[in-house]
Order: sequence, then C-alpha cells, then structure tokens
Amino acid sequence: MMQVPGEFPIIKEDNVTHSFCGLACVGWMYQKIKDSFFLILGTHTCAHFLQNALGMMIFAKPRFGIALIEEGDLAKQEPTLEEIIREIKADHNPSVIFLLSSCTPEVMKVDFKGLSHHLSTPDVPVLFVPASGLVYNFTQAEDSVLHALVPFCPEAPAGLKNVVFLGSVNDSTADDLRAEAEALGIPVGGFLPESRFDRMPAIGPDTVLAPIQPYLSRVAVKLERERGARTLHSLFPFGPDGTRVFWEDLAREFGITVDLRDREKAAWEKIRKQTELLGGKKVFLTADTMMELPLARFLKSAGADVVECSSAYINKKFLGRELEALAGVRVVEQPNFHRQLEDVERIQPDLIVTSLMTANPFAGHGFIVKWSMEFMLVPIHSWSGIISLANLFVSPLQRRSNLPAFDKEVWLEGVMPSAE
Amino acid sequence: MRLAFWLYEGTALHGISRITNSMKGVHTVYHAPQGDDYITATYSMLERTPDFPGLSISVVRGRDLAQGVSRLPGTLQQVAHHYSPDLTVIAPSCSTALLQEDLHQLAAHSGVPEEKLLVYALNPFRVSENEAADGLFVELVKRFAVAQEKTPGPSVNLLGFTSLGFHLRANLTSLRRMLQTLGISVNVIAPWGAGIEDLRKLPAAWLNIAPYREIGATAAGYLGETFGMPAIYEAPIGVEPTLAWLRSVIEQINAVGAERGVPPVSMPKLNAFSLDGMSAPSGVPWFARTADMESFSNKRAFVFGDATHTISIVKFLRDELGMKIIGAGTYMHRHADSVRKELEGYLPGELMVTDKFQDVSKVIEDEMPDLVCGTQMERHSCRKLDVPCMVICPPTHIENHLLGYYPFFGFDGADVIADRVYLSCKLGLEKHLIDFFGDAGLEYEDEASSSEGAPHASNGRDSAAAGSSAPSSPAHAATEGDGMIWTDEAENMLKKVPFFVRKKVRKNTENFAREQGEVSVTADVFRQAKESLGG
Repeated sequence: MMQVPGEFPIIKEDNVTHSFCGLACVGWMYQKIKDSFFLILGTHTCAHFLQNALGMMIFAKPRFGIALIEEGDLAKQEPTLEEIIREIKADHNPSVIFLLSSCTPEVMKVDFKGLSHHLSTPDVPVLFVPASGLVYNFTQAEDSVLHALVPFCPEAPAGLKNVVFLGSVNDSTADDLRAEAEALGIPVGGFLPESRFDRMPAIGPDTVLAPIQPYLSRVAVKLERERGARTLHSLFPFGPDGTRVFWEDLAREFGITVDLRDREKAAWEKIRKQTELLGGKKVFLTADTMMELPLARFLKSAGADVVECSSAYINKKFLGRELEALAGVRVVEQPNFHRQLEDVERIQPDLIVTSLMTANPFAGHGFIVKWSMEFMLVPIHSWSGIISLANLFVSPLQRRSNLPAFDKEVWLEGVMPSAE
Repeated sequence: MRLAFWLYEGTALHGISRITNSMKGVHTVYHAPQGDDYITATYSMLERTPDFPGLSISVVRGRDLAQGVSRLPGTLQQVAHHYSPDLTVIAPSCSTALLQEDLHQLAAHSGVPEEKLLVYALNPFRVSENEAADGLFVELVKRFAVAQEKTPGPSVNLLGFTSLGFHLRANLTSLRRMLQTLGISVNVIAPWGAGIEDLRKLPAAWLNIAPYREIGATAAGYLGETFGMPAIYEAPIGVEPTLAWLRSVIEQINAVGAERGVPPVSMPKLNAFSLDGMSAPSGVPWFARTADMESFSNKRAFVFGDATHTISIVKFLRDELGMKIIGAGTYMHRHADSVRKELEGYLPGELMVTDKFQDVSKVIEDEMPDLVCGTQMERHSCRKLDVPCMVICPPTHIENHLLGYYPFFGFDGADVIADRVYLSCKLGLEKHLIDFFGDAGLEYEDEASSSEGAPHASNGRDSAAAGSSAPSSPAHAATEGDGMIWTDEAENMLKKVPFFVRKKVRKNTENFAREQGEVSVTADVFRQAKESLGG
C-alpha cells in the first residue's frame, strides 16, 4: 500500500480486484451505436465471458462477435480477417466495424493498427479499439472506442462555440441533457458518441467538452491536443449537488451566469425520504465500474458515511473536483480485495456497492449489497435521474428491512457445500 | 480463424474452477490478466453462492510483462495468508499460456509448501471445459486417494457431481433417496462439497457411481484400476434405465458383500421409492399409455446436447414416451463415438457432431420439429422459429437454475422430464381442435405482438444486466430473409392456418413453390402445396 502524493491523498494498492476487462464495454456500446459491429479478436475465453458474465446470450444475432483464435492460428504471422469481415458485412451491413484487441493477440504482438488499416475500406472503416485486460478495466474501453471515433468527428471551425457531451447515454437521457443545456442558453454541438456512426459531432478549438461519464479521460485529452477543445472540469452530473455544479460550471464556460441553488434545494427535497434513510449509513464501494467517485460524492452529500471509495483507476485531473468534494473520505486506487474483505468484516458497513462477482457472497456474509453495474443500466444523469439514483441506494436497505429474520445456519445449509 | 458468437463448452479455466469451486479448502489462482476471473460471476450469480468462490487472480498487466515481473509468488502468499487453503491449484489463462513461463518455479518462489500447491498447466487452446474438469479431478484423486479398509456396510461414492452441473442438487437428492431406500450409504460425494480428506477416503467405498460421461468417469476408471473398485457409469435417466441402474447397483454391491460375508441387499417393493413410500415411484409408465399421450406418438423430436443427456433423452423420448426421433447431435467431440454407439438404431441418420450453434439452428429450421431438447442455445434458435424447446443440459441460463426439486435422475427425474415434454409441446386434443377449426376464439398471443417493438427499458443498456435479467427478452427477430412474394389471397389463406405452424407452412410452401419454378405464392400455388405436402 502506498500513499499517492497530492492535495487529496489517495491510497494505492496492488489491483487484486474482482472486475471485468475492457471487453465489457461491448455490452452497451454496440447498442448505443446502432449501425456498428464490434469484432473482438480473441479466444474462447473472450467469447465465454461475453456469453456468461454479461448475460447477453438472450440476443440471437447480436452485432458483436469474436474472431476466434484457435490453436492453429497461434503460429500464423498475422491473423487473416478478410473472410470474417466479409461475413459480417454480408449479414449485418454495418457502417463501421470496431476491431477490439484482447489479451492473447496482444501477447502475440499482433499489429492491430496495421491490421485495421488494411481491413478498412472507404465505405466501412475498421477501427482499432484497445480493450484487453492487460491494460484496460471494464468501462475504460469505452474511452478507447471514443478515441477511435475522433477522426470521424468533423473539424468545427474556430468561433463555433458549443458543447459536446462526452459519454454514451441512451437517447432519452441525451434528449434531456440537450434540452437542459438549451434552456440555459448553452448551444449544443452534440454527443460523442451519437447513436449513428455518420452523425458524430463536429469538434474544434471552441468546442467545450462536457464529460458525463467519469471514465473518459483519454479521449478528452486527445481532443484537447488535436482539436484545441476545452474540457469542462466540474462535478459529474449525478445527484442534486453534482447536477447543479455541472450546469453552473458549464454555463460559465459560455459566459452565462446561472444560480441553480433553488433547483438543487428542490431536488434534495424531492428525495428527502431517501436521504433520511441514507443519513449516517456506512457505505463501502469496492472497485468495479469506475463510477465510484461521483457516486460516493453524492452519498456523502446525502449524509451517508462513505467508509471506503475504491476505484480501479483515478485520473486526478479528470476527477479533481470529485476528489476535492470527497475530502476526508478514504479513497483507494487499485484496491486489494483480500484487504477489503477484512475491512468490511471489521467496519460492518450498512451497504456495499460491489461487482456482480462479489455481491451475493457479501449478502451471504450478512451484508446489504447493491450491484455497481446497475448504476450503468439506469438513467441517473442530471435532474431527471436524481430520484432513480437515490432509489438505487435506498431500495436494498428498504427491501432488507421488510424481509423476515434470517438464520444462516438454517437457510444456507447445502447451498454451497464447499464453504460449509 | 472463424467468427463465433456463442459457444457450447466453456474454457479450460472454467472447467478447473468448476472442480475447485465444488471443493472445501481448495483455492484456484489464475495467472491471468484483469477480467479472467469473470468466471466468479457464473458461480456467485447462477449458483447464488453465499460465500466467495475460492478463486483469486494473479493479475498480469501489460506493464508487468514489459518489466518481466510476475506477481504469482506474491498472490500465492496472499492467498495462503488470507484463506489458508489445503490446496491451491495454479492455472494459466490462454494469454499467459503463450508466455511459456515456468509456473512450477514461480510457484516455488512463493515459499508456500509444495504439497499445498498443484500446477495444472494444460493448454487452454486445446482443452475445453469438460476435459479440463475431468482431468483435474483425476489429478486430485490420484494425488490424494489412498488404499484403506472398506467401510463395514455397503457404500458408494458419487463421482462427477460438480458445481454448475445441470440440476445438480436435485439429481443428488434423487440418487441419495434411492440409495437410502436400498440401505446403501454414501461414502463420499466428489467433487461437490468434498475436501482433501474426503478424496483420501474414496477407496473405502464398495462401488463408484459416475453417471456423467463428461466429468468423473475417468476418475472412476482410475480408482478401478488402482484399487480394484467396481463402477457404474450409466445415468439413471428414465424409468427403465433407473430400474436397470438399481439392479446393477444391487448386483455390484452384493458381489462385494459376498466376499466380505455381508448379507445381500435386495430390491424392495417399488413403491418404497415413491415420495410417500406408498405409491407408484413414477407416473411415466401409465402416463405413456394414456389416450392423451397417444397423440404424442407422431411428434417429431430433435435432441442436441452433451453426451450424457443426448443419449438419455433420445432413449427416453423414444422408448418411454413413444415419440419419433428425427435427429440428434452433440457438441462433445470427445464423446461422439460413444454417443453414436449408444444411439445405434435410434437415429434415422448420422449423429450430428458440431460446436457451431448456427449449424444446429439450421437443422432445426429445416426440420421444424415438434419438440427440440437442447441447450440454452437451441432454446434461442427455437424461439425465433416458434418451435417448442426444452433445455436438457448446459450451457444454461439463470432460468435453468431454479429452487424447486426438479431432478433428471431417478423415478422423480422421469416424471420431471415427462412433464416438461408435455408442457413444451403443443398438446394433443387441443392441437386437433386447432387444426380443425383454426385458432378462432383461442386466446393465443399472435407472433406479431411479441416484444419486438417494445420500447427498450432504462438506459438502452439493459442487455448488459448480467444473468439476472428476465430471460424472456426479445429473440423474435422473425426475419423471413429470402421470403417470396405472396399474393393477398394466399396470405389470407395462410392466416387460416393455426398460428403456431404458420411459419412452418410458409416455409414449406415457399420451398414447394421454388421447386415448381414459381416466383411468387398465389392462392393456387398454396393449394397445390397443401395437396402435395399434406398440410
């Protein structure tokens, strides 16, 4: 364990966590970009992961697939994907194919850039997306996808000042954000990503990038560097506090002064029942989706006692305002799960926000849990998402209090003999 | 290289973890990149494990590779410190297998005593889930089983019962009930719930029972060769196979008993096997003779799955329910020969052997069977085609991991399977009524009103809601693809065909039309097709 220097101290451990690799992003990105196909160059493991862990087997003919590396392919110089690309084009007719890397081809040192360049045609570009678990965690590969999309965002001329929101959200959330911005007098350039490949937003030197997901630091830096765009460094628009600060700060970028304190107050009032329940509750966030910091900040503002906020990676600049708001909270980067287990037993939190892999076992240990991934599946952005956000934390607490007493000795017998 | 969507068998790592997650005091350390422990979610969600599966990852980061650093020794120390397992199994993932590291040496560097470590470094590109699980189980049995005195009374080991096994707990219950009725005790169940000490005492049993061809049979073979233990390999699926299985258990136990001067076990009155001890042990034999079931005799069934279930279900459908088998297949290449041999005389053609679900889907589409018994993948394909389907083996979905007692083994199992067949198929008398009168007045949901057009929930990301999500989600992408043009009149005639065979009739009619060199389906063509196809 080491202390990372800086204004707001972060503890850094050795990254022994239970979380997914970057390929997980396929689960939502292929749905977001509706004329895309996501092709993973990977192994049986990658296929088994997508099939099982993400529960995506319910889709008969998904717009993603695996170019399966089998034993015979290991000796080959470079993978030959032409046939597979042809098959995809014939069956799905995509406007763009994202070619995702995974661990095995990275170990094989496959030249993905060359490969995707070679497979691209003017009609259907093939874009390389680094996503392997050797480097990327869970949501981080969305950053890689957006990175790959940058060349397809037209250059906005200097003087065209508007906001481009960074991060994939569903269309109705996007509509809400757009309407809110326009109501404040902020011109909207669009979203990266839009839901169609040919409609990516124009970005130029007077574009203000407003990140709406906390795991997209690399694409923001790239756009600053290549297009001269400015990134808004604010809170993320989650919860009454984050939403107010986000919109006020964004408006300021456009020379508009707004005071949304009344609106924030009204929003808190709307979730008073929830915050009353959350007040003083000890909440532990293990690391998973990299949404942990803004979620913890909302919990803190709502009066909860955040006993640990862990996250796989923390970009101190990109998340600077969140870190500032979390002052006094124990923040851990790349945590060690074994240590977390011991701390959880010692601290006895009232609520644990944790991954799909660890939620039920924590519940079996008597804790109340919430899947961290649910925060990615429910619209919790901005004003319209506040009640949903608060309810996500509150519902497991309420539910548990409505259930009868539970005697582990009786009701868990035989469920997992290996643990008895 | 090929384009894959869904696969039947899991990875070698998954096979390994199925064994180790079954066992007490055994931990697995994956030497693997971030995310390869996604396997944990299959246990904690599908089996709803109330404790942490004994799986840790020794993370390999790109930076570690560049610097030539391995975290394996450190991870092994952490695991020893936090969980003190009796044994830690170390396995490479597909990517780290390519690094050609010496895992034995790295493991030795941890300082953890050698006897508490087992490096299981198979080739993940060559070995899949079941072979890895079966192989690791044999390794463990070889390492720990020791010669010893037999138990004083008749006893058996139940081998191959493994975490995430299909209806595992109910099958075990069913077997235990039957053994209890016979007065035979269970010495060890392995790997499910067994610790290292249990493996040591495996040779104390009189007989091994290893009903799964995929996992456990090899270990039973080893125990036979090394300790002279007899074994029964048949799966008691169906009434007659269960009776044969019981007779075989009694015979083998009595052979051992005779040598030891222990009084023989005898077959009790069969009602002793029923739940209340005073009824027929299964409803299937009578059910199969009822007039209701008579209407099943012409139903055409297609079966696809692992080796154990494909064999048993084909036999059950034909021998005990009197259905017609139009084809069968398995994704277990390794067992294809034995499946072929077992099913000799049962299949009208060749056994299908493939691990590509698209191929199986194609057969189903061409044949449009009245019943498909398959995996979650076939259920998928069938949904699209409106073909009745029941799941009989892995790969499974959360909905195949239910709370109730639904064994496939034993007399109870025969009832469960027969019920599922009955509920899955379109019923007998009802079908006659519909065929005769059309579907007027019957309150069936029309295919068109399926969830296809329904608005997507939440963030447009509901797909990713892990195994938890209601599995009833959209799968009705009823693409007619190469569909021909139908005249309005022909369409109207088609509408009078019962809805659940409408797709089949449409397809058959189009095939007929094509063969006749027609470019569209007119009322005339439709009538001709009906006449020539007997539809």
